[in-house]
Amino acid sequence: MRQPYELPLPLEPAGLEEGLPPPAGAGHSFEPLLLANVTWYCELRWIVIAILAAFGAVSFLPDFMHAFGLKSRITWPFALAAILLFTNAFFLAHIRVLKQSGDLRGIRRNLKAQIGFDLVVVTLTVHQAGSVETTIAFLYLFHIVLSCIFLPRIESLAVTLIACALYAVCLGLETGGLLLPSTLYENAAPRAALSAMPGFPLIHIGSVEVTFMVVWFLTSRLSTLLRTREKDLMETNRRLLFAQTERMRFMLQTTHELKAPFAAIQANTQLLLKGYCGELNRDALEIVRRIHERSHRLAGMIQEMLQLANLRSRSEGPLRRVPVSVASALLSSIEQVRPIAEEHRVTLREELEQADSLGVEDHLKVLFINLLKNAIQYSRKGGEVRVRCRVPPGSSEPQVVIEDRGIGIAPGKLPRIFDEYYRTSEAVAHNKDSTGLGLAIVRHIAETHRIRLRVESAPGEGTVFLLRFPALPGG
Amino acid sequence: MANIYMVEDDLDFADAVVRVMKSMGHFVEVEPDITRALEHLRENRPDLIILDVMFPEDSFAGLEFARTLQKEGPLLKGVPILLLTAVNEKYSMGFSVMDIDNSFFPVADFLDKSVDLDVLKNKVAQLLADSAKAK
Repeated sequence: MRQPYELPLPLEPAGLEEGLPPPAGAGHSFEPLLLANVTWYCELRWIVIAILAAFGAVSFLPDFMHAFGLKSRITWPFALAAILLFTNAFFLAHIRVLKQSGDLRGIRRNLKAQIGFDLVVVTLTVHQAGSVETTIAFLYLFHIVLSCIFLPRIESLAVTLIACALYAVCLGLETGGLLLPSTLYENAAPRAALSAMPGFPLIHIGSVEVTFMVVWFLTSRLSTLLRTREKDLMETNRRLLFAQTERMRFMLQTTHELKAPFAAIQANTQLLLKGYCGELNRDALEIVRRIHERSHRLAGMIQEMLQLANLRSRSEGPLRRVPVSVASALLSSIEQVRPIAEEHRVTLREELEQADSLGVEDHLKVLFINLLKNAIQYSRKGGEVRVRCRVPPGSSEPQVVIEDRGIGIAPGKLPRIFDEYYRTSEAVAHNKDSTGLGLAIVRHIAETHRIRLRVESAPGEGTVFLLRFPALPGG
Repeated sequence: MANIYMVEDDLDFADAVVRVMKSMGHFVEVEPDITRALEHLRENRPDLIILDVMFPEDSFAGLEFARTLQKEGPLLKGVPILLLTAVNEKYSMGFSVMDIDNSFFPVADFLDKSVDLDVLKNKVAQLLADSAKAK
């Protein structure tokens, strides 16, 4: 009877992050932010337009307005909403054209024009709503904060100074009698009382503008720190990607450099073994055969050592798991090992249903190829390897079963089969090419992909590997 | 007898292949330099090209070479390419038949190094027969 063994998964996923975004491009760190948000900035303005129009409409409910001590039947919110409506439509259309032409400078100019225009509209709103009776002047702060996020520090300072100047001009013109003060309130007494005080309007302007400057200082400093950090992260990311590419190139080069001499050795030993260079005596033939077999085994071992090292080095950094068709990866792997099956006179029978999971396709192929090669190599001549892939009813987890009727593994040895270089004596006797690394590679990939791997085996009865893949999110 | 052109920088390996091809009655010319090979092929049409993937100055020069040949025009149209590879760009397991496509991997067939010489003989015979039929 077959005894089961389930490979324990590590507590934390080793080196995989889902949906890792692609690296950001070079250039100013605020440029991607600018591109992403310039339209959003316009969309936000639609809300302001709606609020102004709604407030204007509510003002035509005199009883309601009176209950709050506010003036009724005011028309300036409609006028401002109309101005904003037309200019916002213009800004949006302009952005669309600029984005199509990829004119980043134009987009930046557009954003600055939007901020400048908004400051003027805010000043008109402040004047109409009551520059000293209400706290409406804090509307400037929204633009100061946004400019700190979108623009370089010096430009956000310019925006803050313009806001300070516009507010001071508004209050100055009202105090000097050049502009008739306005207010939302029915009662104009608070303004009159304030105007009578000796420190007015300097204390008022000073306190408001000191607040603007403090907000600018804190926000722009924070924003600069974040930008510096983002720039550092981008640089680190770029270096990591470069290192990863270099490592991959090195691994491929090393694989080639190590495999190429073996290819030449094996081709030449085959020339001797197959009589292309004349007949050899029996002893010489036996020695050449040994050289051929050992070099073949060594080449296989080098390939697996490099593969394991490659997988390990990749998992030091996060890998990007994407939706992948388990059935397609399995089919591709079956096609790749079919010549080995033919060589061993083993029949491969597959029943594959569509099943998707998250993973790195190449790694899944390596995992399947190793399991399939094992199943073939430890089958007897004329044997059969069954491969199934499906999503069981009532589950969203794809399952793959690879089953052979080969030599099997003793229950006591099952927990060690995934250890590097571990080979059972029965395996060595049956397959001299065994390196003891194939299942270590399988374990590594299963762990990094959170694949639950169960093996059932009994000596003389064969082995079944059951793999349960993580379901797709929302699957 | 067929004319076979082999682009391979490992001359020990190439020599073994030449011996096997000669035993089949074919004529084989070996060129270790991939740039010179391209110049040669612009003026001479072989019946089959045997191509290595990795060359000293470029790890995937063989693949790029195959893509260039594909665009070379009528002289080389229909000449089968047999790719011999020790590595795969994606993972070091060797290529699969499913990887063959006209843009990324424009070859007729491939063999993983180390090559079984009997398999190589069969593959060459098959490719030459297919090519003759296509004419």
